Amino acid sequence: MQIDILAQPANTITKITFAQNEEITAEGGSMVAMSGGLDVQTTTHKRGKRGIGRAVKRAFAGENIFLNHYKAERDGAHLYIAPNLSGDIMTHELQGGSLIVQATSFLAHEASVDMDVSWQGFKNMLSSEGLFWLKMSGTGKVLINSFGAIYPVAVDGEYIVDTGHIVAFDEGLNFSLSKAGKSWMSSILGGEGIVCRFKGKGTVWCQSHSPSGFGNALGRLLDPIVEHQQ
Amino acid sequence: MSDTNQTSPSVKPLTHVIEGRPDFAYLKVQLPAQETLRVEASAMQAMDKHVTMRTRLKGGFKRLISGENLFLNEFTAQGKEGELILGSSLPGDIKRLYLTQNGPALFLQSGSFLAASTGIETQTKFQGLIKGFFSGAGLFLIKCVGEGDIFFNSYGGIIEIQVENEFIIDNNHIVAFTEGLEYSVEKFGGYKSFFFSGEGLVARFHGNGRIWIQTRAMPPFFAWLNPFRRVVQKKRN
Repeated sequence: MQIDILAQPANTITKITFAQNEEITAEGGSMVAMSGGLDVQTTTHKRGKRGIGRAVKRAFAGENIFLNHYKAERDGAHLYIAPNLSGDIMTHELQGGSLIVQATSFLAHEASVDMDVSWQGFKNMLSSEGLFWLKMSGTGKVLINSFGAIYPVAVDGEYIVDTGHIVAFDEGLNFSLSKAGKSWMSSILGGEGIVCRFKGKGTVWCQSHSPSGFGNALGRLLDPIVEHQQ
Repeated sequence: MSDTNQTSPSVKPLTHVIEGRPDFAYLKVQLPAQETLRVEASAMQAMDKHVTMRTRLKGGFKRLISGENLFLNEFTAQGKEGELILGSSLPGDIKRLYLTQNGPALFLQSGSFLAASTGIETQTKFQGLIKGFFSGAGLFLIKCVGEGDIFFNSYGGIIEIQVENEFIIDNNHIVAFTEGLEYSVEKFGGYKSFFFSGEGLVARFHGNGRIWIQTRAMPPFFAWLNPFRRVVQKKRN
């Protein structure tokens, strides 16, 4: 499988060229174009696994609950996938470890990678951004997209990242959610809300812009939706 | 095009450069003396002082409902070579093609036309209601024939695809394609995929030729943005 990342950096797209029988699983709605010779199956979760419970979890997680599985019937079949919003795409190669991906940053994974939607690392605290998380494990490539640019931060010790800017992180890192400032008042008034404190050694990938921040900024300027009451 | 002007149609490629690709592309054209370029309304950003503009009403009713501007501007370099800088209202890419009399015609999605030299004739082609409403490319396509330069623009980057036999494109991502390709609007995959894949209807192209797609599309962006609008409650009298 050959993965080419094209038209970087603001409106990036991925071209995947398959050998026969190779498979990839992509987020529903991400297909831009594809050649003939690809079999498409839409499932709630990984093909061959009963996925109703997982689909419900994914629906609850605010992520599109449907995944498209593409399988090549011949060599050279190819597929173009991209996210809806502007931003970049990166490839991450898993070699037995696990990666936690923010749900809206997930684009695709190879068939050899296992995706778990029930990861509940942040379960005890409601994230202000309404973000949810997917756990990728196994070996193989994962494609991740960002809103804006993606930049890695090497954590050695302790590091603080705003939850709206986390794209993905090594599962080996310890983390906890907390307020950004000394008090809740300063955290909320300062617009930072909840941040994630990472501890240990590993990498966190961040995005230069937060989708909810951009949406809120634009939404205020648009005509309001008028609801009529009786 | 016999009704255009006194100058003979250009049959030489225009000297030009496209900068700022792929996200904020703009086009610089060196227009030879007395040469004319047809440009989509409001696409001119800057030009030499001896380049003059004439606004023409184009095509009338068809153009009115095809989503293009009713007016086309014609820019002419008076007396000596002149520079003209053009761009699109959406951030994205610009692609240039040189068409020949014997080569295939080009079909453009109606909002993608940026500019063409006078040797190119543009015709607005009705797509039929089913294709028009569901293809995402609009009710009309612009067919470009003749010999000369054609420039088109996109939202996001432009990717060129060489098609042999068959290709499927998400309907919102079609920018342009060459004559010789036919397309039909179909559901994506089986019925389960059609309803739940998030892809819905797609355009299936048949034949041999080239297609240009854009890496982003406006409708999904609006669909994402809409929930961020404020909600105002009003009492009904």
